[in-house]
Amino acid sequence: MLEIHQLCKAYGKRQVLNNLCLQISPGEVYGLIGSNGAGKTTTINILCNLLQFDSGKVEIAGCKISAETKRLIGVVPQENLMYKNLTCAENLHFFARIYGLSGAERKQRVRECLILVNLLDRANSVVENLSGGMQRRLSMALALVHHPKLVILDEPTTGLDVEARYEIWELIRSLQQQQITVLLTTHLLEEAERLCQRIGILKNGHLIAEGSIDQLSTVMPGQEVLIIKTEQEDLAIELAEQQGWQPRRYSNDLAFWLPIHYELQEILAIFTGVQMDAISRQPVRLEHIYLELTAQHRTLL
Amino acid sequence: MNHYRRESLAVAQRILIELLRRRRSLILWTIFPLSLLAINTMVISDRLQLPVSDTLSLVAPSVLVGAALFFSCLGGTVATIVAEREQLTLKRLFLSPLSGLSYFSGIFIAHCFIGFGQVFLVYLGVILWGGKFSGNIFLGAAIILLTIVSYVAMGFILSTQLARRTEDVNSIVAAFGIPLLILGGAFFPTQFFPKALLQLAEFNPVYHMNEALVGVGKNGDSLEKIAKHFSFMCGFAAFTSTLAWLAYNRMLDREKRL
Repeated sequence: MLEIHQLCKAYGKRQVLNNLCLQISPGEVYGLIGSNGAGKTTTINILCNLLQFDSGKVEIAGCKISAETKRLIGVVPQENLMYKNLTCAENLHFFARIYGLSGAERKQRVRECLILVNLLDRANSVVENLSGGMQRRLSMALALVHHPKLVILDEPTTGLDVEARYEIWELIRSLQQQQITVLLTTHLLEEAERLCQRIGILKNGHLIAEGSIDQLSTVMPGQEVLIIKTEQEDLAIELAEQQGWQPRRYSNDLAFWLPIHYELQEILAIFTGVQMDAISRQPVRLEHIYLELTAQHRTLL
Repeated sequence: MNHYRRESLAVAQRILIELLRRRRSLILWTIFPLSLLAINTMVISDRLQLPVSDTLSLVAPSVLVGAALFFSCLGGTVATIVAEREQLTLKRLFLSPLSGLSYFSGIFIAHCFIGFGQVFLVYLGVILWGGKFSGNIFLGAAIILLTIVSYVAMGFILSTQLARRTEDVNSIVAAFGIPLLILGGAFFPTQFFPKALLQLAEFNPVYHMNEALVGVGKNGDSLEKIAKHFSFMCGFAAFTSTLAWLAYNRMLDREKRL
């Protein structure tokens, strides 16, 4: 559905995208994660034909990027970009008309979209009277109104409360069930972990790793992550290194990659003599993979 | 061609729906030209010792091109585009396949509706008060249409190049608009102007709009008689439309990012 091959883009001397390669299959939910400035928004701008790229190839459903490919894409931007003085239905009708839907087909599609985002009962509510979560759901409906082949969700839950975030996640899952191809960018690793079939990690305009969580886990230095809180960190590190456990500092936490599964008693035995304030053993999560890979700059493709 | 029509009508309808939703503004915009018509008619009728019916024919065109259409079409276009930028809906439009031409025509069509609505309102007031429109209605409509094109185009230029926020709108309309309106004869007839000011007014598009419509509306002038003003208006409308198109594309280059 989406094929990006050796995509390069520079702003002056600053190379923002550096030979980016990425493929998304039809019906797949693909997560693109990376820190600010990694190149996510530049990639989206190029896909939306808002920005010219320097070299490489970008195709959506087999079509090279052009003004026409805008019809193949639905975008949910970070902000709720919609007419606040219009109702939900009026916003949808307006954009449906822009995309060429008319008459009964348009009415039917607007209704379908309102049902999909659970806003049918608010169809005639003026947007400025809706909550942030509702506005974001409407933003998703606006992205879907013209039956796009690829939906781009640019940090779709940023600024939403937990409840609204879960609603958006449910919507994304329903897109997945309908076999709609989704490109999701997010800073919430939990979001990517829960929703995406494959994840690409972007750093300095280059994809440093890509795959499912399971695939990405296989290149990690361990099977579990142990987090401990102690005043005697030096001693803890010394004891862990004797076991071959690689120490890490994730935020303020001291962590160790455990190469195999250990029982809690075994772990406590290894740390005999260390005064522990807290200890937790976690399965490998996207957060650990992301921190590990972005710290090492390792190319795993 | 069909998609341009569909897109333009969609944009126009959206602007008109938003306008209708702001009922208070709509009432105020109705009061504005009618109050101006009434006040100017009373003052000028008294000063020139003219019957009210004749004064209405003199005042109505000036109220229309100089005040009502200026604020609704120029001010309205600036407000529409600035609001799109502030609400970031312009970015949503960039994401869609809407063409620049459709966007421009949509705004123009919407303001044609608003403008001709004001024409209807003002001349309804004129007729109810005993005045009339003496000339060819189609020629009058053509003058009004050219006026709307020019104002919408000027609105595009000002909003894309100078006004970034809603607060900028008032200062821009005041800075550019009020001197042009006064010098165009919008608030008092140009026959009150000294010779030097009249020579200066020759370069003012509002003056030509006003003189052309007064000529047709009050004196029943033909196209030949107002040819000088009419050709200036045609040239000005073409010039501002070209500039508006360039200004719009410059804005696209600047703002076409998520």
